[in-house]
Order: sequence, then structure tokens, then C-alpha cells
Amino acid sequence: MMDLVQKEHERLSKRLKSSQSIKSVQEAIDLLQSTRDKVASDPSQASISLAKLQTPIKSTFDAINDNLKETHGGLNKYSKSLDKLFKDRPLPNSEHDALSAQEHLINRAIAMHLLREGQFSVASAFLSEIAEKKAAERQHEIDSDAIDEAAALLDIGGVPSSKVRDQFHNMYHILHELKENNNLLPAIEWSRNEENKMALEARGSNLEFELCRLQFVWLFHGGHEQRGPTPGGRHAALEYARREFQVFLPRYLREIQQLMGAMAFTPNLQDSPYKNIFNNQSAWADVSHSFTREFCALLGLSPDSPLYIAATAGAIALPTLLKLQTIMKAKRTEWTTEHELPVEIPLPPSYLFHSIFVCPVSKEQTTDENPPMMMPCGHVIAEESLKRLCKGTRFKCPYCPNESHPRDAIKVFL
Amino acid sequence: MAAEFTSTKLNADNHLLLDQPLLRLPQELARRNLKSVQRIVEREKEYVLPALKDAAKASMSNEQTPNQTLATLDAMISRMQGLKRKMENLHQEEKKIHNQSRKRIQHLEQLYEIPSLTDVKYDHWSRVRLDRLVVDHMLRSGYTESAQQLAQEKDIENLVDLNVFVQCQRIAESLRHGETKDALQWCNENKAALKKSQYNLEFELRLQQYIEMVRTGDRTKFVDAMAHAKKYLTPYIETQSAEIHRAAGLLAFPPDTKAEPYKFMYDSVRWVYLSRLFIRTHHELLSLPSRPLIHIALSAGLSALKTPACHSAYTSPSSNPHSTTTSVCPICSTELNELARNLPYANHTKSSVEPDSVVLPNGRVYGLHRLLDMSKKVGSLQAGTVKDPTTGQIFDESDLKKVYIM
Repeated sequence: MMDLVQKEHERLSKRLKSSQSIKSVQEAIDLLQSTRDKVASDPSQASISLAKLQTPIKSTFDAINDNLKETHGGLNKYSKSLDKLFKDRPLPNSEHDALSAQEHLINRAIAMHLLREGQFSVASAFLSEIAEKKAAERQHEIDSDAIDEAAALLDIGGVPSSKVRDQFHNMYHILHELKENNNLLPAIEWSRNEENKMALEARGSNLEFELCRLQFVWLFHGGHEQRGPTPGGRHAALEYARREFQVFLPRYLREIQQLMGAMAFTPNLQDSPYKNIFNNQSAWADVSHSFTREFCALLGLSPDSPLYIAATAGAIALPTLLKLQTIMKAKRTEWTTEHELPVEIPLPPSYLFHSIFVCPVSKEQTTDENPPMMMPCGHVIAEESLKRLCKGTRFKCPYCPNESHPRDAIKVFL
Repeated sequence: MAAEFTSTKLNADNHLLLDQPLLRLPQELARRNLKSVQRIVEREKEYVLPALKDAAKASMSNEQTPNQTLATLDAMISRMQGLKRKMENLHQEEKKIHNQSRKRIQHLEQLYEIPSLTDVKYDHWSRVRLDRLVVDHMLRSGYTESAQQLAQEKDIENLVDLNVFVQCQRIAESLRHGETKDALQWCNENKAALKKSQYNLEFELRLQQYIEMVRTGDRTKFVDAMAHAKKYLTPYIETQSAEIHRAAGLLAFPPDTKAEPYKFMYDSVRWVYLSRLFIRTHHELLSLPSRPLIHIALSAGLSALKTPACHSAYTSPSSNPHSTTTSVCPICSTELNELARNLPYANHTKSSVEPDSVVLPNGRVYGLHRLLDMSKKVGSLQAGTVKDPTTGQIFDESDLKKVYIM
């Protein structure tokens, strides 16, 4: 289909005759001009010259109109190819736009997305335009209230927006150093900040060690020179290990032993069992990714831009939802008004974040109001199903011979 | 495996839903451009050909002096030069439009070369799409400066429609300030297309002009107002007769009247209404969706991702920021959580939990492997104990219980 569109557009481009038409106009002008000159120099020639003009001028216009007709035909064919491409796929209608009342939340999601992407100047232009518009809507000059209000879009929980912006600035700076300059030091410094260190430890994060290990490998390969393993690099790496790795014992004893063991293989690391640690192509990308994940987690945020994930998931879901909309319309209901989408949307596995529990009895997803309950035998069903099955007395698990009393079932959290 | 394949396969034809305006808009612009050329060519043709004929006739019968003939020719030359200049301008615009279409087609064609949604090339493409959607949203909201900057930094100026929206905003803004001139001029430029519009923009604008004349309370203006009504409103008598009668009645009521519907007709909110009506009409004419594309993408995407756990009172063990064992869900993340609150959650017909799930005495379910791994990472933990990654509680390994999810 797209091929057809592309072909028709190419054909159309060949049927654009504007320059030709403009040339015809110029020729007509030249003709008029030469006639004028002739009449000026010899007035007796006026009537014959004018008579001679009629046909060529008329055919100039005819030629232009022919060109326009040809372009028109090309445009029509092109637009038909678009109709074919988008046939039966109208955009969802606007009758029910649940999000239009939530403009400020959308703006917030966008502003935070821009910060994540490191688009700091666009983000600040965006916030100030929001402030201007708010002020204009209140019919008075832009005031500090509006600016504060727009800036407050970025507050996260109790954290004020200026701090959030600084945080992302910091994240972007650290990532930039990491990716562009292979400079791990700002990241290491961040992971050692007292508050962060504690939070990372509580998360069971390996970030600090991962960063330091890569620093070790980097030094080993010659630091800024990256000339591969040299005695100098080896020396610098060992020096670094002696200075920095103490704190990682005993938690990372095995990993540190591996690094040290690898030293024995130089210069033949390539053939050693440690080659993956030292020649890992994706090491820098991996460590950047870990850093971003940890940094965002400490702010309670997801590592990838939620706006990006949601918009992409939306594009994947739309074909299914549109098909549904057509069906629902016939039944005079809209999917956005239900608690649950009426149809399953196949998303790639990486778009699944939570565990999903569908009660095997009622086939419904459990919720806070109807939570999953585990019977003593270890089988789980929804609370409502449980109540329906037991009627207050002992009952048999629908999935095994075990019998139990409903009060022995416990609420579980998936 | 089969299910996974279908959920990651990329069907480009189906996928191009949000991208219709990307091609439709320049196609509409090209059509308009052609119409403009046709109009000016026709106008000059209708002037030049008869004028030439008359001049020849007059010259033949000696009714015209040579000087008059020269003057006629000069006039014709200057009009043809005017025509050429206008055609050149439109030609420049035409080239720009078609170049833009070509770039856009190329961009969409890239999608056809990507087999899978998990391909890194799809990730890249989808990020460009998001940038487009964000710029679209900014332009529609009137955040022109931000839109311009973003388009420039992301190098997607050919994939967004800055000028179209800037012009639209300018006219909408002039209406909000109580001016009809720009909007009426726009109506005039789009006369033919407006006939097919489902809205009555031009009528409403003319009605507003009438209301403003009556508002003055000046008797002489009333005469103008009636002449205005006769000229611009009565042609709509078949479809708008109620409004026209109301307009006539307005003459009897002063601007501070409490009587409806006249009070409402005098109300300044009518300008806001006109401004919105203009935007709706403008978008209709250019095949632009009436609401921002990002709303369409998000309302589908938020629901497709949302689970009952995203707004639960309890922290979800399978996705939270408290440990490295899980990744924060985008709907739970601050950016989108409130936005998704009132949308439906995704439909699932099958449970999906870790196969080695165990339950802790506090009722929280984790994959055993994940749990042990995490407990190992947290130093300072006694052998034989595990730590709940979410709550931080410590339990004996012997208290873990296997849980069966059917």
C-alpha cells in the first residue's frame, strides 16, 4: 500500500508543471512587450500586430490550463492512493475524550519527559508558555503566581519542581560524562552520596560496585588512551583496586577475586575465562542503563520514559481498539466508560510490569475490593469466588481434593 | 512462543493509524495551492483575452489612438507580470509541500522495513513518532515557541506542521480579542471548501458583526446593521431561520438586557465560542483530527498498560521502586499515575506470575529465585532468612510457602 502511495507521489511530482507554466507566462509577456515596442515605433502597425497577438496569448492560457489539469489529475490519483492506504481505518472519533479535561496532567507528563530526554531548554520554554497562557486566560499580565503554578507541574510528591529539574540535570550530566567521555567518576560520586548510598543498599543495588568494576577495566585498558592492556594500565588498575575495593569485601568477594585472577592471564586475556569481563562490548551501555534505572527508582520513577512507553503501547493497541469501537458503536457503548477494556490487547512481553492474577473460577482480575485469597492448599482464587463457593462452611478446593474453612484462606498480594 | 510472536510482530499497514494527518495535511495543502493557481490564472485570462480582443477591434476601426493602444498593452503586461509573480510564489510553496510529502512518505516507509516491535529500529522510529505527537500537542495548545524548539532540536521540521498551526492560532487569537477580519478573510480564501463544512463559521461571524453594530445603540448604525443582515445573513434563511429571527429581535433589546436569548447573544463568551468554532472548522477543512493525536495514543496506551495494581492501596510486590528485583511500571510512575486513574484497565484472560512463586507470612508473593537473590545482595542478613524487598521485613526461609496460580 505504501509502495502505491510512494509511486503515485513520484508520478505526481512529474506532473507538476508550474515552472513550465511560468515560462509560458514569461513568453507571453515577451510577446506583449515586443508588440508594444513595434506599435510604439510604428503606430501604423498597431491593428495588424494586435490581431496577430490573439492566438498566441489564448494558447498561452490554454497551455497553462492543460498543465493545471494534469497536476489536478495527479493529485487526485495520489489522494486516492492515500484513501486506499487508510481505508477502513478512521481515527477514533472525539465524542469521548477522557483526557481533554486533564490537560495539566498531560503537560506535566510531557514536561517530565523532556527533562528525561535532556531537552532542558525546550522544557523551560514549555513551562513558561504554559504560564503565559494561564495568565492570559485570567485576563491579566503574566504574574508570578502563574509561573509558580506552571513550574509546580513538576513537583513529585513532596519534592518541589526546581529540585526535580536539578535532579534530571544532574542525571543528564552524569550520563553524558558516562556515554560521551567514558568518565565514570561523577556516577561513582553520586552512588556514594550518603543518602543515595543508603537507599541503593536498601534496594539491593549493585550499582556502585558495577561502576567501580568498569572503572577498573577501563584503567586496565589504558584509561584515556585505551591502547589495550599495557603494564602501565595494569599497574593503574591494581592501584585502583587496592584503594577502592576494600569496602566491597566481603559482599563482592567472588567478583573481586575474578578481577584479580584475570591479571594472571595478561596479556592473553582474550583466551582466558575472564574475557567477558574485560571485553564486553555493551559494558558501557549496560552500566548507563543500570545507573538510569537506579537514579529514577530513587525518585520513584520508572527507568524508561513512561510517556514513551504509553504512547508506543497506544499505537500498538489502537488497531485492536478501533475494531472494537466499531462493534461497540453498534451496541451504543464506549470502551472508555468501562472499568476494564472489553478485549485483550496483545502487547510485547516487555510491556508487562505487574503480575497479573485472573481468578480461575470467575475469570476476573482481582482488585482491592475483590482480592486474591490463598487457601491452605496453596491454590488462589478471588475473594468473591471463595464466598460463592463456601457459603460460610468448609468447602473443597476446586483444584485439589483439599478441604478448608474460608477463615483459613489468607489475602495475598501479587 | 506462538503468542509471543504475534504480540511482537509489526504489521506496518495496521500500525499507521496516528500517521494519517502526516500525509493528508500536505495533500490538502497541495490541493489548495492548485486551486489558488487556477483562480488567479482564470482571473487574468478573463481580463486579458477580452481586453486584447477589444483593443484589436478598436484599433481596426480606428476608435483608438496609438497611445491608447500602448496604454492597453502596458496594462496587460503589468497584469501578466503580476500573474507571473504570484505563480512563482505559489510554485515555491508547492515545491515545499511536495518535498515535505516526500520526506514524510520516506519516514513512513522506514516502518515497513522493521519486522518486529522489539527491534531497536522500531524503538527509534517510535521515539520520532512521540516527538511528532508532542509537537502536535504543543502547536494545538498554542505553545508555538516550545514546539519550534523541539522540532528543531529533534530535526523533524519536515514531519510537523508549524506554519499551519501558527496561522490557525493567530486567527483564533484575533477572534478571542474580538476581531472578525482575519477569520472572514480566511473564510473568503476557503469559500468553496467551506460549503461542505458541517459548521456555520461564516454565518456565525457575520452574525457577530451584526451584534456588534446593534451593541452600539446608535440609530444610524441600526440601519447599517439591517443592511448587513440583509446582505450576509438572509442568504442562510433556509438553514438558520431561527437565528436570523432572533437577530432581528435583538434590535429591541439593549446590551444590558436580562432577557434570554438576547443576553447570551450580547455576551462576550460568544467570542470564545467563535474562536473554538474557527479551530474546529479549520481542522475539519485540513483533515486534521479534532483532538491532539497524543490524546488518542495515550488513552489507548494507558489502558493497555494499566492493571488493578496501578492504583491499589497496597504496594505491588511485582513492580515497585523499593528494590532492584522489579522495575517501576510506567503507569505507577508519577508522570502518568493521576492521568490514568479514571481510565479502564487492561483486559487479561490469563494469569501471569513467576513460575516459582512463594508467599511470605505477610501475604506478599515473590518468585523464589528473585527473593533469594535479593536477600543475598542485601549484606548483613542472617543465613536462612529472607528480606521482603518491598516492606523490608525479615522472615525465616522455612516460613515461605509455595503458591499455586492456575
